[in-house]
Amino acid sequence: MTETPKRPKSNSRLIALCVNGEWHEVTVKPRHMLVEVLREMIGLTGTKDGCEQGTCGACTVLLDERPVLSCMTLAADCDGRQLRTVEGLAEGEKLSVLQQAFLDQGAVQCGFCTPGMLLSATALLERTPKPTTDEIKKALEGNLCRCTGYNAIVAAVLQASDQGVTPLMK
Amino acid sequence: MILYDFDLERPNTLEEASALLRDKGADARVLAGGTDLLPNMRVEVVRPATVVSLGAITPRDPVRETDGTVRIDALTRLATLEGSDLIRAACPMLAEAAHRVAGNQIRQMGTLGGNLCQETRCLYYNQKHDYQFKAPCYKRGGEVCYPYPNNDRDTCWSVYMSDTAPALIALGAEVEIVGPGGTRRQPVEQLFTGSGLTPHALGAGEILSAVLVPPAEPRFGWGYHKSSRRGGLEFGMAVMAVGLTLDGDGATCRGARMVIGAVREKPIRLTATEQAMTGAKLDEAKIAELAAAAAKEINPLPHHGFTKSYIRDNIKIHMRRVLSEATARARGTGTAENGGHHD
Repeated sequence: MTETPKRPKSNSRLIALCVNGEWHEVTVKPRHMLVEVLREMIGLTGTKDGCEQGTCGACTVLLDERPVLSCMTLAADCDGRQLRTVEGLAEGEKLSVLQQAFLDQGAVQCGFCTPGMLLSATALLERTPKPTTDEIKKALEGNLCRCTGYNAIVAAVLQASDQGVTPLMK
Repeated sequence: MILYDFDLERPNTLEEASALLRDKGADARVLAGGTDLLPNMRVEVVRPATVVSLGAITPRDPVRETDGTVRIDALTRLATLEGSDLIRAACPMLAEAAHRVAGNQIRQMGTLGGNLCQETRCLYYNQKHDYQFKAPCYKRGGEVCYPYPNNDRDTCWSVYMSDTAPALIALGAEVEIVGPGGTRRQPVEQLFTGSGLTPHALGAGEILSAVLVPPAEPRFGWGYHKSSRRGGLEFGMAVMAVGLTLDGDGATCRGARMVIGAVREKPIRLTATEQAMTGAKLDEAKIAELAAAAAKEINPLPHHGFTKSYIRDNIKIHMRRVLSEATARARGTGTAENGGHHD
């Protein structure tokens, strides 16, 4: 008897995602959110799954260079699109300027919000290389941090944009 | 994480999407930015068997038509609106309203059409019903109302939270709707039923395709304010939008639209206060009187921990500022004429 070939369930589909410059093919169901696919299928656990309802920003990724919430984005809707996650910010062992500034300013405490903060701030700096404090606060409005009180994070973005903020922790 | 399986369709045009919605009937929902539908599916407020995603359709940029009307594709992202030079010049109140929605990521995802078509909200209704609230409420097809246990079966006091709808109504905007019978146009106001159970007056297979903002009359001024606890990344406590025109003397009100959102099942127009305003000289004393009249005319639902009297007091104070700003802009002495955001 011939074996019945394994078929994906009817509503599963094969999609291709370009994550940090590398293409991944994954079989997803319509109900799979982008954050689940990134963390559980592709194995990039830097993106955090927080509130799952759009109130914390921990799951922020850049989708075609726009900061979006991966907990509220269907993976099946992202076929063929470009994604950047926190894993794509450093070049090998060398941290990005923004990541180094977060360390210098003590902008990381528990670290759960940090990947989302970094990506929201990266999107801001790529659009506005010298943002004002107000612009930084507005761009990070969708990212909640329960540890730092935000001042260190704003200082880190100012430092990364080379606006006369000296590193605190060197 | 959504805990049940559904089918996903990704049509290439709104007409195809409309046909799919009609074929699948009440079990299908349309998905644009997803920032309202997907969290609602997660807490199982809605459980569509089919989701029709508009993700494959690219919105056209906003354009000014020959008669001066600004045509905005319903799939335009809120972030596009707040950053658009055309919107900031032609209808700055809409740019300001879009700017006030939630946080940056949600504005990058959410669309103008989706913002108008968002579900009403209630602290109880929007929680997962698997722990404290087992029995479904009226809106979920059940037999109970948690916040108002004495409510009748057909009464749901959930609140419609759109930040852009009050601004669009104050601007006299219209929506264009694609459906099985072709395309129709109607004022934004008529999109809402006033019922918390079924807040939108959209037929089977109907989808918003565009929003049309008419050109501003001479000596037009606007004022907008969203009151909320934190001032960012949250739904409003009360959203106030005013559009008014002045006579040639720069003081007498020729006509006004005064709208309050996020306090009832739909945005409310304050027709009595609008009438009292028309023909009146808008000086400081009159503006304070009109703001008090507005707070009296509105009958807010207590929601999300805000009491009726607190919301009223808030409206009384902020409506005075909104009216002053609108009057100053109509006189050409406004400070933020170009849609400037005051954070």
